[in-house]
Amino acid sequence: MGRYVVRRLLQMIPVFIGATLLIFLMVNVMGDPIAGLCGERQCDPATAAQLKRDFGLDKPVWQQYVTYMGNVFTGDFGTAFNGQPVTELMASAFPVTIRLTIVAILFEVIVGIALGVVTGLRRGSPVDTGVLLLTLVVISVPTFVTGLLLQLLLGVKWGWIKPSVSPDATFGELIVPGLVLASVSLAYVTRLTRTSIAENKRSDYVRTAVAKGLPRHRVVTRHLLRNSLIPVVTFIGTDIGALMGGAIVTERIFNIHGVGYQLYQGILRQNTQTVVGFVTVLVIVFLVANLLVDLLYAVLDPRIRYV
Amino acid sequence: MSDHQGTGAPEGVIAPTGMGGAMDLAASEAETLEKTPGGPLGTGPAGKPRSLWSDAWRDLRRNPVFIISALVILFLVFISLWPSAIASGSPLKCNLSKAQEGSQPGAPFGYDGQGCNVYTRTVYGARTSVTVGVLATLGVAILGSILGGFAGFFGGFWDSILSRITDVFFAIPVVLGGLVLLSVVTSNTVWPVIGFMVLLGWPQISRIARGSVITAKQNDYVQAARALGASNSRLLLRHIAPNAVAPVIVVATIALGTYISLEATLSYLGVGLKPPSVSWGIDISAASPYIRNAPHALLWPSGALAVTVLAFIMLGDAVRDALDPKLR
Amino acid sequence: MLLEVRDLHVEFRTRDGVAKAVNGVSYGVDAGETLAVLGESGSGKSVTAQAIMGILDMPPGRITGGEILFQDRDLLTLKEEERRKVRGAGMAMIFQDALSSLNPVLSVGEQLGEMFVVHRGMSRKDARAKAVELMDHVRIPAARERVKQYPHQFSGGMRQRIMIAMALALEPALIIADEPTTALDVTVQAQVMDLLAELQREYDMGLILITHDLGVVADVADRIAVMYAGRIVEQAPVHDIYKAPAHPYTRGLLDSIPRLDQKGQELYAIKGLPPNLMAIPPGCAFNPRCPMAQEVCRVDVPPLYEVSAHGEPEHVVAEPGAERVSACHFWRECLHG
Repeated sequence: MGRYVVRRLLQMIPVFIGATLLIFLMVNVMGDPIAGLCGERQCDPATAAQLKRDFGLDKPVWQQYVTYMGNVFTGDFGTAFNGQPVTELMASAFPVTIRLTIVAILFEVIVGIALGVVTGLRRGSPVDTGVLLLTLVVISVPTFVTGLLLQLLLGVKWGWIKPSVSPDATFGELIVPGLVLASVSLAYVTRLTRTSIAENKRSDYVRTAVAKGLPRHRVVTRHLLRNSLIPVVTFIGTDIGALMGGAIVTERIFNIHGVGYQLYQGILRQNTQTVVGFVTVLVIVFLVANLLVDLLYAVLDPRIRYV
Repeated sequence: MSDHQGTGAPEGVIAPTGMGGAMDLAASEAETLEKTPGGPLGTGPAGKPRSLWSDAWRDLRRNPVFIISALVILFLVFISLWPSAIASGSPLKCNLSKAQEGSQPGAPFGYDGQGCNVYTRTVYGARTSVTVGVLATLGVAILGSILGGFAGFFGGFWDSILSRITDVFFAIPVVLGGLVLLSVVTSNTVWPVIGFMVLLGWPQISRIARGSVITAKQNDYVQAARALGASNSRLLLRHIAPNAVAPVIVVATIALGTYISLEATLSYLGVGLKPPSVSWGIDISAASPYIRNAPHALLWPSGALAVTVLAFIMLGDAVRDALDPKLR
Repeated sequence: MLLEVRDLHVEFRTRDGVAKAVNGVSYGVDAGETLAVLGESGSGKSVTAQAIMGILDMPPGRITGGEILFQDRDLLTLKEEERRKVRGAGMAMIFQDALSSLNPVLSVGEQLGEMFVVHRGMSRKDARAKAVELMDHVRIPAARERVKQYPHQFSGGMRQRIMIAMALALEPALIIADEPTTALDVTVQAQVMDLLAELQREYDMGLILITHDLGVVADVADRIAVMYAGRIVEQAPVHDIYKAPAHPYTRGLLDSIPRLDQKGQELYAIKGLPPNLMAIPPGCAFNPRCPMAQEVCRVDVPPLYEVSAHGEPEHVVAEPGAERVSACHFWRECLHG
């Protein structure tokens, strides 16, 4: 187990470097890193040259990348467009997005698995067909449309929620945005659980459990569910990274000042350090979440052995 | 376990579902009845074995989900080729004095915030979506199958390199990558959007192609052909590709829907296509400020977008059901 | 009679049609007796067993007629909760493939102990102790340590012993073993079969042994029921059948066993394929494959005739409980041919 973790950590290094380098190159080569540093107007040529020297932007790109990563590992993520250190932006943005992600994951776990179990146990019933159609619709409607529609209905028409989230972004305010963020994954979790349950329901060991004279609820919870949820847990785990990185649309619709909002601002103002800094953290979150999922897999399924 | 890491995209999640219970019956019957030769499984009424493809086609023709989604898609292709056949006037001809007006003769979907005819714009918007979806899928499928197929077939060093590269791409959130890459593009055509999708989309297909090539490669008949001295190219083309191509088709069909959705999302965020291009994403974005007074300007393009994506996803679903021999 | 199945009918409704899997099966088992049920895949032998256990997949399966009397109660009229209590405690089942039939993510100790927790209300600790005891009883070495292990950590033979232990846990009156040794190596098959036979004697249980292996049957069975296309075609004490079968299908099965004294000769094989259960041939279901078939076999469904090897049987058509029966119009010719 220990050796496996070490090996996986070593394997993460090239992926980490690759992903951050890719983003670094995209932002640097294609964008103008000092655009926006002089406020809203264009920098005059002299100032621009000076700024480029100050930030080491006259050096080759790979050197800039190494310098940048060196700084990152001493905790210096650089400066955002408004002169704030990027780390300060992170300190305000990440808690918000983490709360949003937690709400989304809770929706996936509670609603997604419950719907999946119910439909998986009653394949072909009207409930099953209805839920299946609903998941297809949810998957097909892009998140930004779902978000706008919910905002229109719940926020504007019925007034159940405030159409935009306050800077505090409490859990209560994040329920609807969390649902929007989760929507597509929620549909996937439902379908995945349903398929998994329906497949395992026909398995030999469930038949054995019935033949042993176990009550139905015990057959379902102890034998069927335990096995069926292994792929679902894996999916939800890997989804954590995707949700945090994919919150841009949701945060924009509900005006939530989280990671997505900061990234969007950073991209609009072509601020390299904000974008690369946030992406670096997101990549780390993604990689760590994947590692944890793989380790969790071994706990859930004793057949998996890590060597 | 090295295959397992970094399963970012929910590949294979739109799992064998079928819309009703008919498949369930067939499958569980197969188990309880043991194997009944001459029964409904495997052989036709005449007892003649059929190929995977003709079997799948027979299944598809009887599947209402397939028929409906195929009809929707044919209709979409038709109006993207000849939009003027069902919509008169230009999508760019707008009249501010009619802004936000509701349904009326000549404009069944009403007018948007700029006074443009929503019906005309929605019809013309199909072209963007279908073009982006089809071309991006083609690019992704070709690039992904070639890279994944070769990596899976030859294995070894290039395979590990490719696996690491796909891991890198999976670690970058798609919308984020699109924002970064496309925010600096000034060309207002579909090509940068398509290029971006191919760039970020191929790892998904290459992973599928690689997996199915490896599975096919281990089949006894491929081993036998190899032992008989078949050349690599013959093995790949004659024995492996036909078996590996089905999963790629299924995933690519479903992905087509998601590319259409992604184009709209990027246009909504202001980095995909930009006005004066016509795209459902642009229209939805433009309509969202007027959501209180003119919700129809938001709802019609949204509905068109949803139906389009849904049609491709259901098509992929139906094709998967038909091609998955395990469910037979 | 411990168990008596009377005129059982089971069908499966699929979108391609109705498959008639069991068409009027009757058989019985006494305490301490072993009934071997013989037949090809699709003959309905497993479906009958699943119907007795109450573990048929319904739908698509449906019991359309008959009675299953167990300890003088008709199981088909019981409420599901009553039925559940019979499973495991009154009758238990051993499945063919122990690897897939055991839950891969629970330790064998948990799976064995569960029987006592659910049916006897024991604490988990006591149940664990009982599990060790059971594993000792089926001669699994180092039971105390292995009770914590998972199914995949055992060999095929050991896994089947665990299945047997699980079936025996509550000392049921009846055990149904569905091809218990088919998935095992030949050397292990005999050990497992001997163990099963020995435990049956020890507990004086009724045993229904479902198999297609005639070799196994001769050693352990008291009586044999041969099934074809969802019906019993012949039922008789084991010695009588081996001596002289009274149905051409049974004869075909016996002739297709390789025998040392006929080395070098071509093996006999029954021609043709088992029937499609959605379109069972009219008349005797076996007639298209039967070497003795006459015109009447294509028209009249043969009843179960009572068979007597010496002299005339008491009845022409067998009464329930007859010692030997055959569903062949020409059982006499077969018996003496």
